[in-house]
Amino acid sequence: MTRALPIAPPEPSGRAPRRSSRRATAHPLAGALFVLPFFLVVVAFLVVPLGFAFWLSLSSKSLARGTRFSGVDNYVRAFTDPLLLDGVVRVVLFGVVQIPIMLGVALAGALAIDAVGTRFARVYRLVAFTPYAVPAVLGALMWGFLYSRTFGVFADVPVLFGGQPVDFFSSSLLLVSLGNIVTWAWTGYNTIVLYSALQGVPRETCEAAVIDGASPVQIALRVKVPAIRRAVSLAAIFSVIGTVQFFTEPYVMARFAPQISAGYTPNLYAYNQAFAYSNFHYSAAISFTLGFVVFVVAHVFVVVSRRRGAAS
Amino acid sequence: MPGISRWRRASRRLVPVLAAGGLLAAAACTTGDGAEPGGDGGPVRVSVWAWYPEFAGVVEAFNASHTDVQVDWTNVGTGPDQYAKLKTAFEAGTGAPDVAMVEFQQIPTFVVLDALADMGQYGANEDEHLYAEWAWSQATDGDAVHAIPVDGGPMALMYRKDLFEQHQIPVPTTWAEYAEAAVKIKAADPNAYVASFGSDGGWINGLMWQAGCRPYGYSPAEGRERVTIALTGPECRKVFDLHGDLVQRGLMAQDPFFTADATAALDSGKYWTWAAAGWTPGYVAGSLTRTAGRWAVAPMPQWTAGGDEQGDWGGSTFTVTKQAKNPGAATTVARELFGTSEAAWDVGLNKAFLHPLVTDVAADPAFIGKSHDFFGGQKVNEIFVPVSEKLGDFQFTPFQDFVFGELNDRSAEAMAGERPWSTVLEETQKNVVAHAEQQGFTVTQ
Repeated sequence: MTRALPIAPPEPSGRAPRRSSRRATAHPLAGALFVLPFFLVVVAFLVVPLGFAFWLSLSSKSLARGTRFSGVDNYVRAFTDPLLLDGVVRVVLFGVVQIPIMLGVALAGALAIDAVGTRFARVYRLVAFTPYAVPAVLGALMWGFLYSRTFGVFADVPVLFGGQPVDFFSSSLLLVSLGNIVTWAWTGYNTIVLYSALQGVPRETCEAAVIDGASPVQIALRVKVPAIRRAVSLAAIFSVIGTVQFFTEPYVMARFAPQISAGYTPNLYAYNQAFAYSNFHYSAAISFTLGFVVFVVAHVFVVVSRRRGAAS
Repeated sequence: MPGISRWRRASRRLVPVLAAGGLLAAAACTTGDGAEPGGDGGPVRVSVWAWYPEFAGVVEAFNASHTDVQVDWTNVGTGPDQYAKLKTAFEAGTGAPDVAMVEFQQIPTFVVLDALADMGQYGANEDEHLYAEWAWSQATDGDAVHAIPVDGGPMALMYRKDLFEQHQIPVPTTWAEYAEAAVKIKAADPNAYVASFGSDGGWINGLMWQAGCRPYGYSPAEGRERVTIALTGPECRKVFDLHGDLVQRGLMAQDPFFTADATAALDSGKYWTWAAAGWTPGYVAGSLTRTAGRWAVAPMPQWTAGGDEQGDWGGSTFTVTKQAKNPGAATTVARELFGTSEAAWDVGLNKAFLHPLVTDVAADPAFIGKSHDFFGGQKVNEIFVPVSEKLGDFQFTPFQDFVFGELNDRSAEAMAGERPWSTVLEETQKNVVAHAEQQGFTVTQ
């Protein structure tokens, strides 16, 4: 947009009224009591397990020689473990392709149902959201059957045109097949998130754009999308985190696809280290390394998108 | 990959559609409270984890025939699902049952985790004479009794008798003839395969066993830190050479076993043979309805004409965990749940279709002489029972999950054309040795 909007939404005042803040500190005990339940849950289910896992990761247990303190050895091993690094490269590659596709489709869908706003939109919202309501395990099993050469409907499509049946579990197509499952499951969810954000865009802004002669497409791309930039970033961050933690679909699909190896994704590798190889200590180190990577990636993403937001 | 493809033990009887239900059921597990001495004169209660089919009847039989000990049974999941829970419980030091079902290849893994009680201290050595020799030797280490054998998986060749006869293909007695049959099958039906290379560590291990390959050696009594890994010997190599060659020439399919695809392929004439185990009659009779009656069983093809080398795929035992509160009572349960109990074996043989490792039960004329409608009335145990008797010594590593995972992952690479078949065993050997040394073992290659 090149011109200032004639009607700007009222800027929320940055300062909170003094009185209310003083009242909050006037009853420290009551405040603490309100916080306590949440605090206890966080300590019991987040801080303590994290601390324990970190403590585990600082020692090593070998099957033959028992447990010993090993400092950062497990982390050195994690950062140089070719199986883990292969898995990291695989999920990064996966995310670079899958996340833009998923969010692109979700954004287009959200803009479409926001623009249409009829009964069709309500039905579409429900239908788009349904895959998210299907548990991931069942979704992956279902797709396992849909991909099957015996039972599936898709494998034989090329045969209709004289081609060869598709092997969705072949090593060249496996990531695409998995990406399709994730996109199927999460696009609707992201559509709803972005659609909700669009509800917060002031109608006046759009009306002003109409008066200025903007076409519906221009309104969508130049008014609405910039207005929900933060929601898009949030959806992107959640998707990045979800991708780094990619587990359920490959875990379930491994029974159909032998190409899914023990270290196919980093999380699968951590699972196998702990529960197949009884290597809980190294598994903890892998998990912490992963957590650290997620933290760094998410943080960089937030900083970059804020800077870009401030620059535009 | 470990943790998943190796869950055949009970899933062998489940159509994979049911797998979803199984996963959900496995999630809703409870932990037994463990044995509690019957303080007020009541019976000792012993918790048991097992996933045998039809196991409820076995538990009932035990509880009906015992007054001092009673079993509380929980099915916490099949194979790897249960092992994951067991390993977690042993790592945590609490939460394990008193008695747990464990497959043969997993016994050293739990021994090295120091998870299993020595039942020898509670008189279990008295049972040695009951069981097939190979099974007893895998379940014990010197005088230490780590496990009580229940069922085994002596291997034999299932084949489509009708199709072999119709196309006048001789039933292979050697692996060379097997490869020739594969060519003839392809010629008879371009969509058919001799079999599938099923990505199952236990299966390929059985084939290696049958080839005379003895790749592992481990005896904690002789040296807790010493392990032998020798996967690249000619006996092991020839199994991969033959099957890799068949896969490469498109004569052998690549569907993993126990998937809906593989089951459908068996039932549609896509696969003409399956190197299967003693428990297979029970598994297939339920799932292969269209081809029932058209199959037959032949002894495994031999590597040298006229030979009699045999192998085993699968089989399981009962173990008593170190967390058992009353190891004596738990040992009684492990020994007598099946053991010589006629009621239990009635369920085990006729409903769960186990292949018994109790030699008297296996030698029972009623068992050997039982004709199977699925195999056109053939008395298949006449083939399976001698195989089980013939099985020799075979050992596993204390990290067998890793070994099977490696065999599967490297074979998968070969199937995908990313690795020559000839390097599967070398790479597995290299990675397994590295893993073993990392785990503090001294490795003999």
